[in-house]
Amino acid sequence: MTDLAGGVIPIGPGQLALATLFVVFVGVLSIRLSLGITKDLAIATVRTYVQLLALGFVLRWVFGIDSPWLVLGLVLLMVLAAARILVKRSPDAPPGIFGSAFVSMALTGFLVTFSVTGVIIQVDPWYLPQYVIPLAGMVIGNSMNGIALALERMFADLDRREDEVLALTALGATPWEAAHPAIKDALRAGLIPTINSMAAAGIVFIPGMMSGQILAGADPVTATGYQIVVMLMVAAATALGSVMALVLTYRRRFSADGVFLEKGFRDDAR
Amino acid sequence: MSDPALLLASDLVAILRAEDREVRVLDGVSLALGRGAFADITGPSGSGKTTLLRALARLLPQVTGSLALNSVPAEKIAPSAWRASVALLPQKPAIYAGTVAANLRLPWTLKARHGAHAPADAVLRAALDGVALTDVDLQRDAARLSVGQQARIALLRVLLTGPQVLLLDEPDAALDDASSYAVGVLLREFAQTGGAIARVRHHVSDGLASERYSLCAGALTEVEL
Repeated sequence: MTDLAGGVIPIGPGQLALATLFVVFVGVLSIRLSLGITKDLAIATVRTYVQLLALGFVLRWVFGIDSPWLVLGLVLLMVLAAARILVKRSPDAPPGIFGSAFVSMALTGFLVTFSVTGVIIQVDPWYLPQYVIPLAGMVIGNSMNGIALALERMFADLDRREDEVLALTALGATPWEAAHPAIKDALRAGLIPTINSMAAAGIVFIPGMMSGQILAGADPVTATGYQIVVMLMVAAATALGSVMALVLTYRRRFSADGVFLEKGFRDDAR
Repeated sequence: MSDPALLLASDLVAILRAEDREVRVLDGVSLALGRGAFADITGPSGSGKTTLLRALARLLPQVTGSLALNSVPAEKIAPSAWRASVALLPQKPAIYAGTVAANLRLPWTLKARHGAHAPADAVLRAALDGVALTDVDLQRDAARLSVGQQARIALLRVLLTGPQVLLLDEPDAALDDASSYAVGVLLREFAQTGGAIARVRHHVSDGLASERYSLCAGALTEVEL
């Protein structure tokens, strides 16, 4: 076990109220300058309170119960939520991609998380929630962003390049060959934020997990090891998940005869 | 017209959705192109000329009717094999960043032509010279050429693959008179050596076509030359 609670100065209701004052100040500023963000800011603040408090209590409960099924169930729930958000964030994608989004998220989420906890960190028991759940959260959350970007980019790109896709198909290209330029660009687009944060880590900012461990009193060099593992696994999960999501879904925009379905030929209203 | 028909289309019906309405763009269109046929298809803008070409190339989803090539029904020919024989040249030339040579050899990078040899430089050079592109080097960046030059490269790319039927969507829309004439000569040669051409056209007749059709309100009718 780690000494996560070791050196942390606890934050009570008074400190929380003080922090909230900052947001209130921004809200007042927004009203005075008619920035129009007051409502969004208020809702976001309330959501932060509610969601994170709930998370804190759920985690405390899970850590106390010590059940592998509960841990697996929780990771599955995270995957489900991520797949739902993925679909919502891809307005240009055809309907019915939830299954593919779920499979991509689940496979990368479970595979990468448990590879790290089981093979690299070697936690004992293998489902130790203090490790599995935060790591799964980072893998799933970050790869979800990348996959969402990649999916949205591919379908938007296919629409933008429909003339090119038609010309390639006319020359005998399979759907994979016709969609390949869009798939390639989409993969790159999905990975860029991860690659950027890897490049800036340690120079521009102290990554989240490392900050947390340092605040908790861990040795900075120990924290570095964890952070490197996390960044590499997020990159791997994003790349793996994006490839899978793109490969599983691109064919939906083509007919059985391998013709790209332009807007007028789609059954859906999108 | 020679017999039997190289490309035979009968009773093509295509219904396209535009916003909330449904339009019968092709309403029972039949067409027979024999070897050596050079057919011009005219008609007002939006009458479905492009849709007809796409249907003939089996590049139109949700079209009904029957198609046959050399009396073999379309159902017995794989879509990619059909498109290799009945080649559509879309109106907008799809030119990629890269050399002229790479653009011309693009079809041979596809699985459909796996194992076939891409044409040698000398063949490409001769082809370019044939359509008044003598000043375009094979190593030039194709993306930086003019629209008229790109249109001819897209046409050559299709011709070099050796199709039996050519479906051309306004191939000379972006061409000046001289290059238009050079392209015309090339197309006539294609038809005379046993190919068939269906060409969508806006311009007045250039005297190349051997048949002429008009597409209007979803119906195709042959008109006197």
